Amino acid sequence: MEKITKLGLLCSIVGLAAIYAGAVQVRPSITPIAKIDNEFVGLKVIISGQVVDLRESNGHLFLALQDNSGSAMSVPIFSSVRAQLGDSIEMLDEVQVTGEVTLYQGALEVVPEDAGDISIVHSPCLGVSSIDNGLIGEPIKVRGIVDKREIVGKGNIILTLDEDGAQLAVFVPSSVAGSSNFPEVHVGYVVQASGWLQLYENELELRVTGASNIKVIEAA
Amino acid sequence: MLDVLVFIALGVALGIFTGFLPGVHVNNLTPMLLALAVGSAFAPMALAAAIVAMAITNTFISYIPATFLGAPEPGTELSVLPAHRLMMQGKGYEVIKLTAIGCFGGLLLSAALVWPMMLFVGPAYAVIKPQMHLLLAAIVVVMIALERSKSGVLWAAVIFLLSGLLGLFSLDTNLIKGDAALMPLLGGLFGVSTLLLSLKNTGKMPEQRIDDGPVEMKRNLKPLFAGTAAGALTGIIPGIGPSQGTVLAQLATRSRGIHEFIVSVSGVNTAKALFSFIALYAIGRARSGAAVAVEELIEVGFRELVFLIGVALFVGGIAVILHIKLGRFAARNIGRLPYRATCVAVIAGIACLTFYYSGLIGLLILTTATAIGILPAVVNVKRTHAMGVIMLPCILYFAGLKGGVLSALGL
Repeated sequence: MEKITKLGLLCSIVGLAAIYAGAVQVRPSITPIAKIDNEFVGLKVIISGQVVDLRESNGHLFLALQDNSGSAMSVPIFSSVRAQLGDSIEMLDEVQVTGEVTLYQGALEVVPEDAGDISIVHSPCLGVSSIDNGLIGEPIKVRGIVDKREIVGKGNIILTLDEDGAQLAVFVPSSVAGSSNFPEVHVGYVVQASGWLQLYENELELRVTGASNIKVIEAA
Repeated sequence: MLDVLVFIALGVALGIFTGFLPGVHVNNLTPMLLALAVGSAFAPMALAAAIVAMAITNTFISYIPATFLGAPEPGTELSVLPAHRLMMQGKGYEVIKLTAIGCFGGLLLSAALVWPMMLFVGPAYAVIKPQMHLLLAAIVVVMIALERSKSGVLWAAVIFLLSGLLGLFSLDTNLIKGDAALMPLLGGLFGVSTLLLSLKNTGKMPEQRIDDGPVEMKRNLKPLFAGTAAGALTGIIPGIGPSQGTVLAQLATRSRGIHEFIVSVSGVNTAKALFSFIALYAIGRARSGAAVAVEELIEVGFRELVFLIGVALFVGGIAVILHIKLGRFAARNIGRLPYRATCVAVIAGIACLTFYYSGLIGLLILTTATAIGILPAVVNVKRTHAMGVIMLPCILYFAGLKGGVLSALGL
């Protein structure tokens, strides 16, 4: 028995060392999103990119990350992970995520397991005056004072942001405005809004896709 | 209606197949059924019924190879040793009867307790979850401390740590995709190691006594309830597998006896199988491979849930009879098999399947797991400590430390 114990212990330790050495060789590396296909399902990867979409549902956060390869990948951050996360994630932030590639309802996702798998670098905010037609179709993050607050249609909100006379309309669809975590916004507040810049009836307009894309910086 | 019956029959047949072959799991066959659904005229409900039938039947039948061959599947790994031990005493058929009671009782009880469980499990989970890592860690400490002797405690800790690291390195890295590492891990820790040690025994399989007398139900009720509750918990909560559920059930009932243990573990497994489908409705999450497949086929509302539970109960009635008949057949004929050759054949089978699914790296994991799995028997501590393979990664996960530990290790 002595002999078997020693042999078993030796084999376990040597085997573990070999498996560890193997695992180090194949540790996840930064992978261009465009390269990730169904072959990657079940593997861990690191992706790094800009948040180009951000939605919330039941406390979970759903991101779309886009990197230099031009492709976007959805990254669900489940409520348990989100609760551990010290920092908030905003549109256009640079985010690096380590996670397993999984297939959910036919689409690929990279799923981080805990907060340690996510690192965030916040992107700077633009002033209203620096927004021009060149940015149409791009995601932007902008800051300004609420000059006007109108309700149009069935509960949609249009905020007009002002910075030294330059103005920008921010369209908040009713689905976002009606959600419980949409902040109270009134005229005179300084807010930060992020979303996609679009042209609506020949005027520039920022379209917001999630409640956390409107942040009150300073209440009047 | 007829197509549903046909598909249930197909599911039962596939469940027998996956149950009998150690290493072939329900999850290996569900993609096939899903492929059948794509662009076919078959009703998705009928295919979902087939998957439920397969999952339930598999749970029953997998106890036959676990008992007579000592070969585990995910879920049966903890019962392999006690079941195999009884088989070596000629009581294999008794194990079949006990697992029949456990499986069928667990199924009936969980169907009966769907509503109270759904009301209870959600809030209970919300309370437990932030402390889950502490709860699991406490279970491990108690398990290790129960070894009493100083050397026993030391060995138990070493075995927990070795198996835990093995689990972390193989399940949470890119060595093997997804959960494919589970087979060599559990097969090595709980299967091949047992079989290797029993190779020392010469001669034939022990003659099995066939006792068709009634089984006393009273003493089995407590383990049955505990098993069902643990199964409901593991079916709904992510990150807790049947083995942790069983450890919980064991602690809750303080059941020490080998018979009660087998009943409660088999109760955990069918309850878990059923509750993973109930979770689709209750919390909208799939908690098993089979539930994932059902989710892809149908939207589970109340009507569908009642249908799925009905199918599970119907199939349970068929499976319990098949299980007893097939188990009886196995008990009658196992004595004719040359023992050592059978053990060698099962070991070779597990090795071949491992190689087929996960290549050379799978064999390396299988060998290492086997080496660790031999230790508890030779140093005379409980093999449960090798559940570190799943417990350690789980504790780290719930503590939110897994990413940090992996990156500290350079992984």
